[in-house]
Amino acid sequence: MNSSSYIAALEISGGAVLVFALLTLWRRDVKANVRMLRLQGVSLACVAGVLALHQHDLGLAVTAVLVLSVKGFVAPELLHRVVRRDPRSRETAPLVNVPASLVTAAALIVISYAVSTKIIALAPSPPTRLVPIGVATILVGYFMLVTRRRAVSQIIGLLLVDNGIALVTFLLTAGVPLIVELGASLDVLLVVVVLQVLLANMRERLGTTDLDQLRELRD
Amino acid sequence: MDLALLSLVLCIVGALLALSLNGSVRVVVTGIVGIAACLGALAAALRVLIDGNSVSFHSTLLLPLSGIDLTLDPLGALFVAVTSIVGIASCLYYIGYARDESGSRLSLSMFMLFLLSLLLVPMASSVMTWMFAWEIMALSSMLLITTEHRHSQAARRAALWYGVMTQLGAGSILLGFLIMTLPAHAQTFTLLEQHAGGLTSLERSAAFIFSLIGFASKAGAVPLHVWLPKAHPEAPSPISALMSGSMVALGIYGIIRVGLTLLGGGSLWWWLVVTSLGVASALFGALHATTSTDIKRLLAYSTIDVMGLVLLGVGAAGAMAATHHHEVAHLAMVASLLLIVAHSGFKGCLFLAAGAIERSTGTRNLDQLGGLLSRMRVTAIVFVVATLSVMAVPLFSGFSSEWLLFEGLLGGFISHNSATSIAMLVSVTALALTGGLTAIAFVKAFGIAFLGQPRSSNAEHARDASPTMGVAMFFLCIPSIVLGLAPGSVIPLLNRASDVGLRLHVASPLRPGAGLDLLSSRGSIEPLLILAVGVIASLGLWGLLRLVARGGVRRAAAWSSGRDVLTPRMQYTATSFAEPLQRVFVDVLRPDNDLDVTHESESRYYEQHLAFLNRVDDTIENSIYQPVIKLVRRAGTAALRLQNGSIHRYLALGFIALLVVLVVLT
Repeated sequence: MNSSSYIAALEISGGAVLVFALLTLWRRDVKANVRMLRLQGVSLACVAGVLALHQHDLGLAVTAVLVLSVKGFVAPELLHRVVRRDPRSRETAPLVNVPASLVTAAALIVISYAVSTKIIALAPSPPTRLVPIGVATILVGYFMLVTRRRAVSQIIGLLLVDNGIALVTFLLTAGVPLIVELGASLDVLLVVVVLQVLLANMRERLGTTDLDQLRELRD
Repeated sequence: MDLALLSLVLCIVGALLALSLNGSVRVVVTGIVGIAACLGALAAALRVLIDGNSVSFHSTLLLPLSGIDLTLDPLGALFVAVTSIVGIASCLYYIGYARDESGSRLSLSMFMLFLLSLLLVPMASSVMTWMFAWEIMALSSMLLITTEHRHSQAARRAALWYGVMTQLGAGSILLGFLIMTLPAHAQTFTLLEQHAGGLTSLERSAAFIFSLIGFASKAGAVPLHVWLPKAHPEAPSPISALMSGSMVALGIYGIIRVGLTLLGGGSLWWWLVVTSLGVASALFGALHATTSTDIKRLLAYSTIDVMGLVLLGVGAAGAMAATHHHEVAHLAMVASLLLIVAHSGFKGCLFLAAGAIERSTGTRNLDQLGGLLSRMRVTAIVFVVATLSVMAVPLFSGFSSEWLLFEGLLGGFISHNSATSIAMLVSVTALALTGGLTAIAFVKAFGIAFLGQPRSSNAEHARDASPTMGVAMFFLCIPSIVLGLAPGSVIPLLNRASDVGLRLHVASPLRPGAGLDLLSSRGSIEPLLILAVGVIASLGLWGLLRLVARGGVRRAAAWSSGRDVLTPRMQYTATSFAEPLQRVFVDVLRPDNDLDVTHESESRYYEQHLAFLNRVDDTIENSIYQPVIKLVRRAGTAALRLQNGSIHRYLALGFIALLVVLVVLT
C-alpha cells in the first residue's frame, strides 16, 4: 500500500468511527443506534486492519479480526436481542434534546482538537494526527451516557466510549499487546452480558428501563 | 540470617495452619509454631548481639520491582529479641486464653501475621521492605483490635481511631522516606545513609519531622497518643502485651533508625523536640494512669508514660551527639534501650495479668474488683513483681533503667548550650515527678484489685488463671528480675546496639560486672549487694520480733483496727484513691463531675435518689481531635447534597470532571 492511499484509508475509516458516533447521537430509535454501533465496530476494525497492512504486523491483524468479531458482531448482536425483547425501543425523552445534543457534540469535537495538540506534537505522524477523532468519540459517548434515560442507550454510550479508547490506542501505539487487547475486548463483552441480565431483571421488577426510576434506591 | 528467615517462614506457616486447622488443635498448634518462630528469632538476634556482626539477605522474588532487603544489625536485633521474648509469652498465654472470637481462624492467623511484621520491621533495610512490614503490622493489629467487635462498640470505635491514626502516621513516614530518597535515587538504607549528605538542611529537617510524626504516633507520644488508650484495652490481652511491649517500641526504633542512623543526627533542635515530646508524654501518661479505673486503660496510659521516658532518653542522646558529648550520648542511649527491654517485660506481664483478671471476673473496672490476692495467687505474684518493676523499686528492672536514665540526663548538664541544659533540667524534673505519679497509679492498681474485700460477686468468685497462662506470665517476670538484679549482664549487648544507633564507637561508659558502675565514677549500684544486705536485715528483724513478741497472735481483717465490722463499701475505691490528685491537677485533667439528685415528692429537704458520676476524659482528644472530627463530619454532610441518587447526575459529574481535567492539562 503506498503512502497516500494508506493515509486516505486511515482517515476515512477513522473519520467513519466519529461519524457513526454522531449518527448514534442523532437517531433516537434504539434499533437504529445498534445498527450504527455495528458499523462503528466495523470501521474500527478497518482502522486496525489498515495499520496492520501498513506495518506488516501479524499481531495487529489478529487484533483487527478480534475487534471485528467482538465489536462488529457479538456485542451489537447481544444488544439487538435486548432491544427485540423490549417493545418500546425508542428513546422517549433524552435529558437534552437532539439539536442541542448535536451542537454540544460540535463543541466537544472542538475541545478534543484543542486538547490533543500536545499529544500530536509529541510525535507527528499520520496516525497521531487522527487522535482528536478518537478523543471526540470518547467525549460524545460519555455525553450520550450522561443524557440518555434508557438503560440500553446507556450501554450504547459505554460502548462508544470503549470504541473511542480503542481508536486512540490504535492510533497512538499502533496496537497494544494482543493479550491486553484480548482482555479489554472480553471485558466489554462481559459488561454487555451483565447489563443484559440486569436489564431483564429491571424490566421484570420495575416494568421500565428508565434509569431515573432507580433514584429511590438511595440509602 | 538463616535462623531469622526460618522464624519468618514459621510465622507464615503458623498463619496458614491457623486458617486450615479445626477445633482446639488450631490454637495449640498455632501457639506452638509461634513459640518456635520466636525462639528462632531470639537465637538469631542474640547471635548478632553477642558477635556484633550484622547479617543481611536480599531477594528479588518476594516484592515486585524492588525486592526485599533484610539486615539484622545489633540495633535491629535488640528489638527482634524484645519482640521474641514478649512473643513467646503471648503465644503460650494465647493457648490458654483463646476462646470463641479470640480463637477464630481470622484472629489466630492475624496474630501470626502481626508477629511476623513485628519481627520484620527491625530487620527491614530498604524503604519498600520497611513500609511493607509496617503496613502488615498496622492492618493485622487493627483486625486484632476488632476481635470482639460483635459485642463491643468500644472495640469498633477503637479500631477506627487506630486505623485512622496509624494510616496517617504511615503516610507521614512514607513522605519522610520519599524526601530522603531524593539525592540517592535508591531505596536501600545503606545507600540512603551514604547520600544523606546530599540533602539540604531544610530537606533533612522535613524528612525528620515527617517521619517523627509517624513514629511518635506509633510510640504513643502526646499529642498523637489518642489511639493508644482506646486500642490497648480492647485488643485481646496477649495482643495488648505485644502491642505495648513491642509494637510501640518500634516507634522509638524508627526514630533512632531514621534520625540518628540514616540522617546522621542532624540538628540540635530536632532532639529538643523529641525531648519535649517525651516530657509531655511522660507527665500526661502518668497523670492519666493515676485517675484511670479501667485496669487495661491504666496500663495503656502507663505505656504512654514509659515511652515518654524513653523519648526523653533518646532525645538526650541525640542532643548530646549533636553537641559532640559522645560518652553522655552513649549513656543516655543505653539507658533508653534498657528501659525499652525492661518495659517490654513488665508491661507485657501486666497486660497478661490484666487479661487473667478480666477472664476470671468478667470486668476490667477496678471499682468492681478487690480481694483477688487470696483468690488468684499466681496472678497476684506476677502482678507484684511487674508492679515493683514499673514503679522503679530497687532490685527490679525499672529501677536499673531509670537510674541509668537519671545519670544520662544529669550528665547532660555538662553541655555549654543553655537550651540543652534547660531541656535536661526539665527532663530530670519530669522524670522525678513521673516516678512519683507512676507509684501512685500502681499502688492503686494493685491495692484496689488485689487487697481488701471483693467489691462485687464476680470478684468474690474469681478463679486463678490456667497453668499455661500462669507459666507465660512467670516467663515475662524473668526480665524484670534479671535486669533488676544483674543489669550489668546485658549492658555489653546494649552497647553494641547503641553503637549502631548512634554510629559512634565509644568505649562502654560502664565497668563490666553484674551491677551498674559508671566509669566517670559518679555513681554505682550493686543490686546483688543490696539484696544480700536486705535479706540479712529482714532475717535479723524477723528473729528479733520472734524473740520480743512471745505472746499469741490475734488475727483480724486488715485495716479494721482489730474489729471485724468492715464492709466492701467502706473501702477506698480506685476513684476515691485518685481523687486528691485529681483535685490537684484539675486544670490538666478537667474531670467531668455530675451529681444528679432526685427529691422526695413531699419535701425538698429529703433526697430519694443520688447519682454521682465522675469521668476523666482525655483533654487532648476533646480539645484537638474532636473539633477536627466535627469539621470533617460537617464537610461530609455538605457533600451529601451532591448525592441525590440520580445516576445521570453522577455520570454528569464524572463527565464535567473529565472535561475540566482535559482543558486544565492543556
